[in-house]
Amino acid sequence: MSHLFLKVRSGMTDRIDVSALTAALVVAHTADDLARAALTTGPHALAVGDVFDVSGTRGDGTVIETGSARLDGLGEGLAVGILMIEGNVGIRAGRGMRGGRLEIKGAVGDHLATGMKGGVIHVTGSAGDGVGALSAGFRFGMTGGTVVIDGDVGARAGDRMRRGLILVRGKTGPAAGSRMVGGTVIAEGELGADPGPLMRRGTLIAPHAESLLATFSDCGVHDLVILKVMWRAWAQSLGPLAPKPIPALVRRFAGDLATIGKGEVLLTAA
Amino acid sequence: MTGALIKNGVTIDDTFAEAFGMAGTGLIITAETAKWANQCAVTMTGFGTSVIGCGAECGIDRILTPDETPDGRPGVRVLMFGFSADALIPQVANRVGQCVLTSPGSACYAGVEGPVKIALGSSLRKFADGFQTARRAGGHRYWRIPVMDGEFVCEDATGCVSDAVGGGNLLLLGRDPAGCLEMAERAVAAIAAVPNVITPFPGGIVRSGSKVGSRYQGMFASANDAFAPTLKGATKSELGPETRSVLEIVIDGLTAQSVADAMRAGLAAIIADGGHHGVTRVSAGNYGGKLGPHHYHLKDLV
Repeated sequence: MSHLFLKVRSGMTDRIDVSALTAALVVAHTADDLARAALTTGPHALAVGDVFDVSGTRGDGTVIETGSARLDGLGEGLAVGILMIEGNVGIRAGRGMRGGRLEIKGAVGDHLATGMKGGVIHVTGSAGDGVGALSAGFRFGMTGGTVVIDGDVGARAGDRMRRGLILVRGKTGPAAGSRMVGGTVIAEGELGADPGPLMRRGTLIAPHAESLLATFSDCGVHDLVILKVMWRAWAQSLGPLAPKPIPALVRRFAGDLATIGKGEVLLTAA
Repeated sequence: MTGALIKNGVTIDDTFAEAFGMAGTGLIITAETAKWANQCAVTMTGFGTSVIGCGAECGIDRILTPDETPDGRPGVRVLMFGFSADALIPQVANRVGQCVLTSPGSACYAGVEGPVKIALGSSLRKFADGFQTARRAGGHRYWRIPVMDGEFVCEDATGCVSDAVGGGNLLLLGRDPAGCLEMAERAVAAIAAVPNVITPFPGGIVRSGSKVGSRYQGMFASANDAFAPTLKGATKSELGPETRSVLEIVIDGLTAQSVADAMRAGLAAIIADGGHHGVTRVSAGNYGGKLGPHHYHLKDLV
């Protein structure tokens, strides 16, 4: 299996928007091609080779061997292939991603997977605020794909999310699923305070929530067939990244009744 | 009959079953228990024997294990056949709406992949009166419809194939009515093991095989007097003096090959023990080969 390898050059002191790297990877045939490709524009334009030492051969994927929290926009618009980052990354990783796979072995800044339409993102660390959320230039937050975060996430994960899955192995911050219109957010640890403000549709699943808004109404404990369907589909498509099996009985809270109230918070330990 | 084969004491007529192109669709029905999945499937496929009088020909294809169903519960796959996809649309909506939606613990999913789609949940969702919600999982869309025992989960649509085949058939002729019925049952059991086919009549067996047309106005089909034992001396009969009972097995399949496989399986079961149960002949129904494009020659299937 052959890869292109990118190693951040030492001495990087400023934040760098590397969102153009995704497009450069599509057209570059060799490491030299990639090193010459434009990374930023303007009076202080940088080429990929100014920021990274590039080696290896083009093949199945690209490995960024030393990530940095100063690298913003990694994997933006990724459509095919695998991009692996060993280390932390900055903000807006996987923004508008349409396919392929983004593997981040580290922590991620804010606005991971905003406007994501497809593909899979796996983060072994934690992520900041606004995972899969709405950001400038998009009508909705995530509209497809899967984001799996092994750690915790910050506030408003899934804001204005329409489709897809955000799986958080740890805890979400406050207001997860705010303004959500579809899709699923699972927090295997816990939902932070007041999940789902102004949520219209969609599902938030967790063992319990730090607190619930008064506009979420207790509908009782149920055995929901749709959870079996969804879990089997995730298990089939995600393999080891799939969520843990969901207990048969969940307590359903319908909301946000401040809007149309067709969303739900499902608490598995309640 | 010229060219007839004799196999294990059973005469196999040198004739063919004439079958027709149909549209076919399928559903997977699940429930909390195999009993209720089966009950639901039996109910929704009821009154689905002949497309002429019932609007669709329906039957159970096979029982599904929990591993084979979208929700991991016991299930049943049913097939439905009609003149066209358009003709199947109201049949699917009515049967699922009246017999699956109403059945305790049931859920309903697509059972056939096909380019043409037939509405399932999308036609039933309004029963929820605004409380319905849709979910996507694994590339499929599901509707959640609140009902009195929880939620009815129903896939948005199922597929439809336009190259299905209806009207594959076998005719068992026997000197002993009870033995003939016993062998017909065994043939139906053998056919049930073939995937993608159904035998839509009661227990898979028809005793009122018909001919096209009638002496009465408005009747499309009428008694097949040539195969009616009590008319042997009163009409131009196809039956020998020893025949006291004729039973037919009608087979519909999603593909022409599946119907051939089913007829082969049924024939093998009849030949294996039919002679000991008074089955003297196996024949097949056709219209001279001018109406249906699929001709299944019995001699090619033994």
